[in-house]
Amino acid sequence: MRFFTFLLFLLTASIGQAQNSYTLSGYIKDGKTGETLIGANVYNVMNNGEGTTTNNYGFYSITLKEGTYKIVYNYLGYQDQAFEIKFDKDINLNVDLTEGIELTEVVVSAEKEERAKNVEGTQMGTVSLPVENVKKLPALFGEVDILKTLQLLPGVRGGGEGTSGFYVRGGGPDQNLILLDEAVVYNSGHLLGFFSVFNSDAIKNTTLIKGGMPANFGGRLSSVLDIQMKDGNMKEYSAEGGIGLISSRLTLQGPIVKNKTSFIVSGRRTYIGDLLQGAISKSSFSGSNYYFYDLNAKINHKFSDKDRLFFSAYFGRDVLKFAQPKRDFEFNLPYGNKTATLRWNHVFNNKLFFNLSAIYNDYEFQFGGGQEDFKFKLFSGVKDWNLKLDFDYYLGTKHNIKYGANYTYHTLTPNTASATNGDVEFNTTFKPKYANEIGIYLLDDIKFNDKFGVNVGGRLAIFSQVGPYTSKLDGTVYGTFSPAITYTGIEPRVSFRYKSSETSSIKGGVTVTNQFLHLVSNSGSTLPTDVWVPSTEIVKPQKGVQYAVGFFKNFSNDDYETSVEIYYRDLKNQIDYADDYVDDFSKEVEDAFVYGKGRAYGAEFFVKKSTGKLNGWVGYTLSRTERAFDRIENGRWYPAVYDRTHDVSVVANYKLSKRWEIGAIFVYGTGKLFTPINGFFFTEQKLNLFYGPRNSQRLDAYHRADISINYTPNPDSKKKWKGSWNFSVYNIYNRKNPFFINYDVETDFEKGTNTIEGSKITLFPLIPSITYNFKFN
Amino acid sequence: MYKIAQQFSLLALVLISVLTSCETPYVPPTTDADQQYVVEGFIEEGEGSLPTYVMVTKSIPYLSTIGPDVFANLFVKDAAVVVNDGDKSVQLTKLCLNDLPDELRKAALQNLGLNPDSTVLDICLYVDLLNQINKKQGGKYDLTVTIGQQILTASTTIPKHVPITSHRWDEPPGEPNDTFARLWITINDNAGLKDYYRYMTTDKDNRTLFAPPQSVNDDSFFDGKNFEFPLNKATQRDTVTNFDTFGLYMRGDSVSIKWMNLDAEHFGFWQTRDASATRGGPFSSYIRIKSNIKGGLGIWGGYSVSNYKLYCPTK
Repeated sequence: MRFFTFLLFLLTASIGQAQNSYTLSGYIKDGKTGETLIGANVYNVMNNGEGTTTNNYGFYSITLKEGTYKIVYNYLGYQDQAFEIKFDKDINLNVDLTEGIELTEVVVSAEKEERAKNVEGTQMGTVSLPVENVKKLPALFGEVDILKTLQLLPGVRGGGEGTSGFYVRGGGPDQNLILLDEAVVYNSGHLLGFFSVFNSDAIKNTTLIKGGMPANFGGRLSSVLDIQMKDGNMKEYSAEGGIGLISSRLTLQGPIVKNKTSFIVSGRRTYIGDLLQGAISKSSFSGSNYYFYDLNAKINHKFSDKDRLFFSAYFGRDVLKFAQPKRDFEFNLPYGNKTATLRWNHVFNNKLFFNLSAIYNDYEFQFGGGQEDFKFKLFSGVKDWNLKLDFDYYLGTKHNIKYGANYTYHTLTPNTASATNGDVEFNTTFKPKYANEIGIYLLDDIKFNDKFGVNVGGRLAIFSQVGPYTSKLDGTVYGTFSPAITYTGIEPRVSFRYKSSETSSIKGGVTVTNQFLHLVSNSGSTLPTDVWVPSTEIVKPQKGVQYAVGFFKNFSNDDYETSVEIYYRDLKNQIDYADDYVDDFSKEVEDAFVYGKGRAYGAEFFVKKSTGKLNGWVGYTLSRTERAFDRIENGRWYPAVYDRTHDVSVVANYKLSKRWEIGAIFVYGTGKLFTPINGFFFTEQKLNLFYGPRNSQRLDAYHRADISINYTPNPDSKKKWKGSWNFSVYNIYNRKNPFFINYDVETDFEKGTNTIEGSKITLFPLIPSITYNFKFN
Repeated sequence: MYKIAQQFSLLALVLISVLTSCETPYVPPTTDADQQYVVEGFIEEGEGSLPTYVMVTKSIPYLSTIGPDVFANLFVKDAAVVVNDGDKSVQLTKLCLNDLPDELRKAALQNLGLNPDSTVLDICLYVDLLNQINKKQGGKYDLTVTIGQQILTASTTIPKHVPITSHRWDEPPGEPNDTFARLWITINDNAGLKDYYRYMTTDKDNRTLFAPPQSVNDDSFFDGKNFEFPLNKATQRDTVTNFDTFGLYMRGDSVSIKWMNLDAEHFGFWQTRDASATRGGPFSSYIRIKSNIKGGLGIWGGYSVSNYKLYCPTK
């Protein structure tokens, strides 16, 4: 409570500051498409660069004392606009910026301002990835993947060879809050996680917050991945797409009413299974196939400068069909997400921006099939209805206040299995679980003076498991919406920045978080079969505290941005399965969980160059991640499966000419942990394996280099059709990175002989790919 | 079924990777794992049940090749094995099968699931030769194994038996086939009582019983029901699975079935043991096999059993 009183004090203390001042506000957009620009800068060049940035909807507001100032608008990759503005009344000004890469003075200043954020911002551990930059990097099978690019950042590591699952600062894969236009995406991977569900053509902006999670986000312990879809071109119709080895994609967008209403539709589908149908149809498995697809759609309407409405939706599915016609056996395994977000932006006045979102999201996993009269079906899923209010209150240049509330109604269906055999029916009696989750937050980004700033906030999180539910502990029956158990978490979030010189700063922060939904995997990586479960009277919420401090320094006129961050995370109520757990659909997974604690600590080093023909970054992380569970080896601290001591990534992009551009990636990581076989014993004359301590051995170190070449035949073409080629080579020196260890055992008990052959399985050797990308407008 | 789904969900992955993935030999670093004693003992009640026996062996550290010399030393021959049935303690008698007359040796090996003609190993076990233990459904049996200074203990029960009440033969699913048939059996499960089941069938020779890859089930889906389900035939160890004939019986063959009830701990051993045998790879975690042996590995398990001899009719 004291914390919130402190916040109120900060707010009231600042109100006087706004007197005799006037406010300039509006939207910043791409001049060509009308697409709003997120994180664009607006600053007063005449007063040490005091200024602000646009929010997630492209809105900005800056309040200055009466006077005339030169105000500059800029955004990375766009040409600056500068205006001399007289602040003698409140002004509304929407600004269109033009994309431009000429090295004019203003563009240099734009990039410089962007780079200075490394030192200036109070947030730490926050990275924005422009999609256009991601597209220039090499990609496995030519599939551009935002999640895989994120894995190249320090403190973020992948789930394994080629996978898009990620682990942030020692957190589990379920501890990342992944948002697509504010809707939670519960399963971010296709094909067992080898490809992410995010079609880069439909994405406008991606921000990863791995450090101090601001108070407007909650519900996960580790990180926030905030992805915004494009709004759709307000000015003209356009099409873009690509034809690749395993998939193709197409995006259409344009105005429905010019400068008022626009739409975007984007689709992607794989066809490797279709291409192999010739061979499959001749085998015993005729009729089998696999593919995945994504469909993104968005429509937005501008009623006035004060009111906008957005409706966006995502639908994606993995579809696996297995058939064995000879035995009349088949099953279908479709799974995927659907999300829908309806948002209303309203500008109450030039300082107060409001957004109301109604969000629906649904992740379903189904597995059904049968043989003759025998039919079976397995289903699990998560469904949320979410209402969210967010206010941005711009109290002068020194305060940016955000407050809001969020209510979510969760429906989580555990693995429900049913089967019929003629007239006989049998099924599990598990019922879906229901929960209310409420979050209320307040935060203020305060700049006390040129040197010192804080981002201070708090979040109140309330989670109730509600009926219909019958208690497993005492048999109490709870009616609809009647709470069976309620958990409350108070989550202070503080981060600070002290600017030690013009080009350097020290930042630090403490973040307290609670997590009420959990995904526990019984495998080395997450699978679509893993089930999300809520906190209940049995399952307690996960809790985490992160402490982080960092030193940030820019060199050579901000050409080089560098940082060193160290962190320590303390995790409670971590969840896992005991090591003798066997999947059992007759039992709810929550009854099989074991609970423990975790800790993670590390240091991250980052050097980035954003300017010039050669740009990119080098990241190095030294870290340790551990878990301890009473039910696993008597509470011994052991390294988590995704612990990686050393992690290096080098990312480079070199622009040879307008036509040719080269991208390259090198990654190195300490080998993946695994649980070794210590020996054998026999029962019923069969060999059994017994294992050593959990995660006590490592595979060989992982390293790989990829390269890509982008070729644009006619970069200055005025034609409507513009094409380019991407040639990628994954794992260019054909490193045989071990993916897992396989054991082949041959036992002849009667003769008294046994052989076991361990082999390292390598998944992806050198893989070349080619993609043709096009734009038409 | 679910495991099949998991495995086949890799099909798509295989489509893009199988031609490109490769293998290189892996030899793990030497570990200084302690050798442990392993108990494999069963106490059976019912028609055609085996005498109570306990095998005591030693675990073997990870070695890529194990020859007959290692196997020969596998069996612990100097243990004192005692079973208490609640009324009395019975010391089991050590029996090395190579010391038996040929006919007896053959019968004993077959009962253990081994081919007498090809078995060269001298298997030693501890047996209740005089059938002194009072075996009954609902009975509790404590085992004590003493090897030098080391004492291993375990406890098990013989649960109430649920026999097979009827069976029928059926056409295999899919394309018409005169060669094979599917076996359906019916049981009348105990209502309100948690029942655990295990079974074995003979393969081609109709002499040796084998357990199928997934040999145990509980009654979670059919508690208290008169329940009919297909009973897959087990195949000889290390037979490559043929998906077209998996679980089917050859028409014209005789087949023996051993049908067993077991308690929860005993079930847990086989459940983890069966699951462990199918584990491996990047998408499944290792499984530590449960054991009810205090101080060692393995199982001391009680069964209530019934045995059936069936004939699969020709068409």
